[in-house]
Amino acid sequence: MITDRRERVSKALRVLALCLSMATVCLSAPSAAPVFHTTLPSGLDFTLQNSPTSFKFLIETMPGGVAFLDYNNDGLLDIFLVNGGRIASPTPEPDDFDRHDPRYWNRLYRQNRDGTFTDVTKQAGLANVGDGNYGMGVAVGDYDNDGYPDIYVTNFGKNILYHNNGDGTFTDVTAKAGVAGGGWSVSAGFLDYDNDGKLDLFVTRYLDWEMKLNKPCGVVTRQYCPPGEFPRVSNILYHNRGDGTFEDVSVKSGIAGKKGNGLGVAFADYDGDGFTDIFVSNDVVEQFLFHNNGDGTFTEQGLEAGVALTADGKKLSGMGVVFQDYDNDGRPDIVVTELPHQLQTVFHNDGHGVFSDQSLQTGLGVLSGTTSGWGLGLEDFDNDGWKDLFIVQSHVMDNVEKLDSSLHYLEPPLLALNHHGRFEQADAGSTTPIAGRGAAFGDLNNDGWIDVVTTQLGGHPQVFLNNGGKVHWLTITLRGTRSNRDGFGARVQVNGQTRFATAAGSYLSSNDKRLHFGLGSAETARIEVAWPSGIHQTLINIPSDRFLEILEPAEP
Amino acid sequence: MIYTKMIQALLALFLLAQTSTTAPGLSPQATQHLQAGVDAERQRDFETAIAEFRKVTELEPAAPTGFVRLGNAYMENHQYGEAVPPLKTALEQDPILPIAHQLLGYALLAQGYAAEAIPHLEKVGEVGALGIAQIQTGQASDAVSNLQAALMKSPKDPDLLFYLSQASEMLSQQSLDALTAADPKSSRTHQVRAHSYYVSHQFPEAEKEYEEALTLRPDVPGLHLELGEVYAATSQWVKAEEEFLAETRLQPGNAEAAFRLGDARLQEGKTKEALKELERADLLRPDMSDTLYSLGKAALLAGDSASAERAFTRVIALEKESALAAQAHYALAGLYRKQDKVQEAEREMQQFHRLQDHNGQR
Repeated sequence: MITDRRERVSKALRVLALCLSMATVCLSAPSAAPVFHTTLPSGLDFTLQNSPTSFKFLIETMPGGVAFLDYNNDGLLDIFLVNGGRIASPTPEPDDFDRHDPRYWNRLYRQNRDGTFTDVTKQAGLANVGDGNYGMGVAVGDYDNDGYPDIYVTNFGKNILYHNNGDGTFTDVTAKAGVAGGGWSVSAGFLDYDNDGKLDLFVTRYLDWEMKLNKPCGVVTRQYCPPGEFPRVSNILYHNRGDGTFEDVSVKSGIAGKKGNGLGVAFADYDGDGFTDIFVSNDVVEQFLFHNNGDGTFTEQGLEAGVALTADGKKLSGMGVVFQDYDNDGRPDIVVTELPHQLQTVFHNDGHGVFSDQSLQTGLGVLSGTTSGWGLGLEDFDNDGWKDLFIVQSHVMDNVEKLDSSLHYLEPPLLALNHHGRFEQADAGSTTPIAGRGAAFGDLNNDGWIDVVTTQLGGHPQVFLNNGGKVHWLTITLRGTRSNRDGFGARVQVNGQTRFATAAGSYLSSNDKRLHFGLGSAETARIEVAWPSGIHQTLINIPSDRFLEILEPAEP
Repeated sequence: MIYTKMIQALLALFLLAQTSTTAPGLSPQATQHLQAGVDAERQRDFETAIAEFRKVTELEPAAPTGFVRLGNAYMENHQYGEAVPPLKTALEQDPILPIAHQLLGYALLAQGYAAEAIPHLEKVGEVGALGIAQIQTGQASDAVSNLQAALMKSPKDPDLLFYLSQASEMLSQQSLDALTAADPKSSRTHQVRAHSYYVSHQFPEAEKEYEEALTLRPDVPGLHLELGEVYAATSQWVKAEEEFLAETRLQPGNAEAAFRLGDARLQEGKTKEALKELERADLLRPDMSDTLYSLGKAALLAGDSASAERAFTRVIALEKESALAAQAHYALAGLYRKQDKVQEAEREMQQFHRLQDHNGQR
């Protein structure tokens, strides 16, 4: 009881301190409603070809990823979209998925100054996706610290690393880099797990599955098989040697010691020990939290940390994941998207390496009962100083209505605004139900308000442009010198808010690497950066409403 | 299933056989064959027993003993069809012979001739088999009575319990059919249809029927509760709360309604309101595991670790090895972990894993 009281008092004091540090945000934040409008900008003519068949091959319902990146460093975010492939029916063995056919290419769209897009896939050298690959996801990071973002594409089949040559073109360096992986890769992300200044690569894998191993599932009607029908697999961690090659350290790091049904991945230093940890959302098995031991190894701590299962000790159908601080207590929390009748789960970071399931307290219980979530983002869409939640939704099974009339295959996205730690549904800008999958978040039009691009099976991407408002914001680009150039793994605090620098998270997708902060009515900001190198940097009285590049100092 | 009863009957006959091989009125030759048949039966050599008893019937065609023995041997050899003629002959010779009625009743029932079996089973008061036969002839009410009577003697007999559930279900359906026929537009008829849709997971249809029922009779106890359960099943917690609240206003003493209201509020994240209602449910009906588990969760969310610990501990004491007990152990592990009680947390996790294994959930 004494401990409880102390906890409550301590929490109240923390909230008070936070309010004082955020001053105007807590006391008088204008409640600017986020108003998205959906649009398909001219030139963004991509269609995600998942090729559904009556055989219900599992891969059909799983793609595809989307990335925000500024590949040509012109200051405008470009969009990369991952395509599935053609699945012949009946399927030849092996199926090559016809990826040479332009309909099945991944696509890179360059943003023009007028907000339109130009398809630059071919001229960028990204048309070749290899044989036998069915596309899944994408990760973006500057693995060679040359200032240009590189692209890693995950597949059912071999993955591909494209090196950005800096002249608008890319080169497939997969073989040299040694990162082809294999099997069924899903989400991936770049991180610097050993703080050596070079980005490493983590790849989730879903199942030990092949086209020829597909089997009929379902009683009333044929369905996509649940993952439990197939053996689990381990994920992959590649260590960046710094010479353009990577070493597969999955085994020696301990990552391969745990087999699951990995779908999403997100990174943050949850225990404040200075090393980036890894959360993997698993489908229908325990979720994995790989604690970084700081010596090149990881220990899976999901159960011990309280994030492996729900509050009721039940397994989650973990799909997408985001690892950011939703309640402004300075510690990264975890939100996992799931299937219906499981809540979109919020694991609150209570400190001391322990989390608690606060899905009900945060209001997600009433927002996620019959819906299924995939890609998601914790971003401050209304710039009020609290990160909001955007979830792309759709059931896994395209015939789910036949099994349960209260469920739907096509669903509109969910926007939930964060009111001091409690999420409440708001207008997402679209009520059109779609088979949503990937989602990337970033300021597409550089107006200081976060936009969203989502993917949908068999359809065009949806672009949610944020109409903005009158409150203030600040967007930070980190430029590491001793740390990795992208600054991934840095903890950045602005006026009491915290972001962990990463482009990973969501599902299959890669976000704008810039760190966005809503400032409410605050016109200046105090910024603290804890770089992965250990350097701490403080900037004060920074004017709001600007894009700011922060260069890592050479000395602490 | 009915064979359990048959064997009991055969055992009764066997006991009879011990004393009747010296039955008066049989010729020495017939008695010899009768004894040989009984000996063969004891050795479970039913083919020989059948042959010996047949000789008895040939030597003494007017004595029922041989025919009863022959029918019994056929039944022991699972030749129920063949057992019927000699047993009928025995009854022609002695219409009140109880053992012949009993065996014939079982033989006919085994062959699916339930209606023919019933008079024979009634004559000997074989209420278990009679109840089973009555299910097949659609006499649900009589079947329930007879099976309940049989269960008074053998309360744990799985066959009888199974058939009682079937008979009860049939009786329920018959009652519902009668209700629907009597007034197809009544509130109760809509309620019946709604429940049927609910059971088959046709939730939108169930919702519509419950709403019709409530429009006609908004004050019927239980309707709001059931409609709330439809909303709960589809995770529409705001609507579920409204219905459960309406039910608690109608029935303030209904512990189930109080629990459901508290749980709905818990799902909505209304921790304090949930806690209040769950505490009320616990007072109305103490030691209801589901209430206690939700109470523990609500207390945990409200930051009252001591109350949460008490509630989860009570769940474990009540549930012992169940899945809910496993959940309570998991919740306790989280609670102790947060309090830095490492050993206690570890102990609870071990219990959680043990019960997961025990319940096949890992």
